[in-house]
Amino acid sequence: MDIQDKMIEATKEIFSSMVMMEITVKEVMDNHGALNDTITGMIGLAGTHKGVLAVHLPYSVAQAITSSFLMMDVEEINEDVHDAVGEIANMLGGNVKTILSEKGRDIDLSLPSTISGSQYSFQSDKQVDKVIIEFDTGKGTFIVEMDLEK
Amino acid sequence: MGKNVLLVDDSSTMRKIVGRSLRQAGLDFDNIFEAADGIEALDVLEKESIDIVLSDINMPNMDGISFLREKSTREGIKDIPVFMISTETGDDIIGEAKSLGAIGAIKKPFTPEKVNEVLGPLM
Repeated sequence: MDIQDKMIEATKEIFSSMVMMEITVKEVMDNHGALNDTITGMIGLAGTHKGVLAVHLPYSVAQAITSSFLMMDVEEINEDVHDAVGEIANMLGGNVKTILSEKGRDIDLSLPSTISGSQYSFQSDKQVDKVIIEFDTGKGTFIVEMDLEK
Repeated sequence: MGKNVLLVDDSSTMRKIVGRSLRQAGLDFDNIFEAADGIEALDVLEKESIDIVLSDINMPNMDGISFLREKSTREGIKDIPVFMISTETGDDIIGEAKSLGAIGAIKKPFTPEKVNEVLGPLM
């Protein structure tokens, strides 16, 4: 199983067991354009593998996911949404760390952080290998992206 | 009789979900206390009667490993059992947590069934 398949498996597991949502892969992408009305949760990797793991959620999808995660209505992009999106990135980061590093000590993870806005681009200024997967929640799509320095 | 549990995680979302999973697992806790990092956790342990701690590892201010190290030096609280709940489940880091007194670890993501399977026997 390659890293792309493992990321798909990890993302599906996080959503089914913690978010209580079944998701499917919509598309494996080479790149994505500017992000509109989106919140991004990200976590940095340092050590033998350097890069960033990010999850890009359109506002409507982020609200639906947070509602399902917390089992309560969420009607705006508030602190709960940022926290939930950061935690999804954190869990994905932990899984990616496990995929890339058996012992767990040769890669360090940053704390998760989030950004949001009406339009922004997300790209590295270094040469990176990208894995970009678009998932469908049934209430909209979102993107999981890993950029690893070459 | 129920017990008191302390949940330590910088994510309020995750604290809510762990608390919910404990209830869904049917585990009998009287009170669920919360802390956002190791410093807050030590403060709660000094003030409240806590039976078990469920702690994340990767946290700001004082992470789970530093929390275990500091707790092990404090006479009144050093024997309170700590279970790690974390995305960080590499052999080395869990080995370090166990060497500092952690009694086990659950990997995020988890299900209420997993929580019950691991924590049930301790209750």
